[in-house]
Amino acid sequence: MPRRPKVLVVDDEPDYLQIAARVASKAGCAVVTAQTALEGVALAGAEKPDMILLDVGLPDISGFEAARRIRKVPALAAVPIIFFTVRSELDMVSEGLGLGAAGYVLKPFDPDELARRIKAAVSPSS
Amino acid sequence: MKLVAACVTADPRVLAFIKSSLKGFRLEFYASAAEFLRAGPGAGLAVIDASLPDMSGGDLVSVLRGDKKTAGALLVMTGSGPYSPAAAAACFDNGADEYLAFPPEPGLFRARLLNLLSRGRPAGRGPEKPAEYKFGALLVSPDARTARIGGTALKLTALEFDLLIYFLRNQGRVVSRGVLLDQVWRAGREAGPRSVDKRIEALRSKLGRKLGAGLGTVFGVGYIFKL
Repeated sequence: MPRRPKVLVVDDEPDYLQIAARVASKAGCAVVTAQTALEGVALAGAEKPDMILLDVGLPDISGFEAARRIRKVPALAAVPIIFFTVRSELDMVSEGLGLGAAGYVLKPFDPDELARRIKAAVSPSS
Repeated sequence: MKLVAACVTADPRVLAFIKSSLKGFRLEFYASAAEFLRAGPGAGLAVIDASLPDMSGGDLVSVLRGDKKTAGALLVMTGSGPYSPAAAAACFDNGADEYLAFPPEPGLFRARLLNLLSRGRPAGRGPEKPAEYKFGALLVSPDARTARIGGTALKLTALEFDLLIYFLRNQGRVVSRGVLLDQVWRAGREAGPRSVDKRIEALRSKLGRKLGAGLGTVFGVGYIFKL
């Protein structure tokens, strides 16, 4: 049986964490979760996910800073990251996409669209 | 002087259509939201594909409307997916000036764009908010604060009305209880996840069986409003 792609979801809001994890799971992925950015960075290093769904406004460090730290791990230098956030200011979106993010999804979100983006990120050739 | 249009699309069909229908324009193509934002968009005309590789076109329109440098831009959405009235309404709600399902008739597309350019966008105008929302048989007027089903007025409390408007503006999107408490209840109103559930139940009941079923519970933690 082919290995299921692994998705790391990082969000400090339990509702969104749970919803996003369910969407990723329904999209056929194995899911690991974290509620702080630092926990997410550590989990990314340990689990080597195939993609990361990352909130921006996290309580310890920002999702952008977490993405920078994750990218410094050689095995994760190219891992697709989708920012998943209420932060809709143009400068924030530019900064997030400028970090090489695979996507930027505004909350509240369309679950079908999020599922499509997760699938595209874990299998970019599809 | 040539008219300028920024075109944000990664779809070769949309790209080819724009090239052939906007002859005489100076066209600037961007294959993603990241590329477009990196170029430093201004207040000109932008034709934006509803589905971009890194962002939904609707979210990009909403972001552009929210920034003072780009709030006055003329934003046209073209949806490469099948046309749906809800998708079109969501585009306008995000602040698009025009929505044309793909492929539009080339002459009409060009004429609509020229018409927009000739009228411009009034300074300081914020995102478009529809004067009325139609959701099946439901007709809601945010300004008049009225909601009707087939001509019969619904008796909604102020909070239920605000809740209904929030769902109409976020059709097809999952909304958590926390977001509803933050965006609809705000400070000073009764608060707590149970309050949300109670009000949703009341709203469902007032909407009736058919429309109330459109207000779905998602995984027990949030809600979604769609037909």
